Amino acid sequence: MPCTEQPVNSTWFSHTVPCRKAGRRPIPKTGWLLAMHISVVGVVLSGTGQAAAQAEPRSGLAAKIAYCKDCHGASAQGYRGYFPIPRLAGQQPEYLENQLHAFIERRRANSIMFSVAHVLNPAMVKELAAYFRGLKAKPVGGAPSGQIAAGRKIFENGVPEANVAACAACHGPNAVGNGQIPRLAGQLYPYVVKELTNWSKERGQIPSKPDPSMIMEPVAHSLTRPQVDAVAAYVSSLD
Amino acid sequence: MKIVKTQLLVGVAVLTIALGMSCRIDAAVVSQQELQAKMAYCKTCHGIDGRGFRGFYPIPRLAGQQVKYIENQLHAFIEHRRTNNIMFNVAHVLTPEMLTALATNFHELNPEPLGGMGGVSTNPAGEGKKIFEEGIPSANVPPCATCHGAEAKGNEDFPRLAGQLNDYIFAKLKNWSSERGQVPGNPDNSAMMEPIAHGLTDAQIRAVAAYVSNLR
Repeated sequence: MPCTEQPVNSTWFSHTVPCRKAGRRPIPKTGWLLAMHISVVGVVLSGTGQAAAQAEPRSGLAAKIAYCKDCHGASAQGYRGYFPIPRLAGQQPEYLENQLHAFIERRRANSIMFSVAHVLNPAMVKELAAYFRGLKAKPVGGAPSGQIAAGRKIFENGVPEANVAACAACHGPNAVGNGQIPRLAGQLYPYVVKELTNWSKERGQIPSKPDPSMIMEPVAHSLTRPQVDAVAAYVSSLD
Repeated sequence: MKIVKTQLLVGVAVLTIALGMSCRIDAAVVSQQELQAKMAYCKTCHGIDGRGFRGFYPIPRLAGQQVKYIENQLHAFIEHRRTNNIMFNVAHVLTPEMLTALATNFHELNPEPLGGMGGVSTNPAGEGKKIFEEGIPSANVPPCATCHGAEAKGNEDFPRLAGQLNDYIFAKLKNWSSERGQVPGNPDNSAMMEPIAHGLTDAQIRAVAAYVSNLR
């Protein structure tokens, strides 16, 4: 069996053989017992390491993931295409699933995402969301750095005089989100600006089918444009 | 001509006094528009109809809460007796009149409990009901019902627990001493709950939290 750096099966313990580097130092005879112990520990450790690593996606899923990454970036870190294309890496799976369903049901207006999402079956939606959750990527960066401090203040404290809630209450002190509430950390600066300034034109587009996007509506409306820019700059800088 | 001038002066003076008075009255009364805007603001995090919401943290139900308790807590946030940076920021800009108006408005709301377990697994609710009604005499935990009422609706200083998020209750009871009564020179009635919170095991907290979270 050839050695494998990645498990070939989604169960971490099966079909994995730790790789040995060619030309390693010969082990002195007296050290064999110790070496065997180390080797056993090594196998166990490499097994746990692989458990933490991303499971190799299956073929249909692998193809779809590659397709998503065409626009969302090689590590799903987000990408500045003609439109700012959001980061998906580390995103909350429940949020991603909700958004894909929102595109499909046209509650969230985006003809490109409708086209790509409405062919996905519910199981694929779930698998994609779980996959992107597991990715880590450095923030793309590029926000005006002069606004980050002001943005942080808004994120942590809100703007009580303007009835703007603290972003941290729902998105978390590190902006990683929770369940249906999205991660904002590392999200593209122009994407966050665009979403906050267009909230009511893009989200919750079927009044008879209200969704959690309504929570953000008054918040998005109460922020001034400079405040939107500042808070977008702050979250985009978070790793 | 002089008489006309005098009359004008008197008129202006009366008008000024009248305007001044009406301004003072306006300051003391909260306009409906301001109140509704602030209510909507609170509900951004505290959920539709104030039923509570699971944001990054479990955010408590305010609906049906005791007016006095809400007022006390807002003052506790403002005075840093209760630690919560987010609530300090939102609370310290409130006028006393607005604070009372908000507490009264939330008290009058009566939505269904939010429900859900919020990731807190529980023992059968029967155990929670027993703790709530009988306490745990062997651990010197009094029955919750003594102060919070048989239906967990609370009374003035004692908060309503009925319909409260179970994960919120769990977090509060676990963190009691690091969140409440944080200004030793200015003790408040949160001290009352301290030995009780410490006397309960995690499993007992889960059980009693699950029980009250489903009460209407």
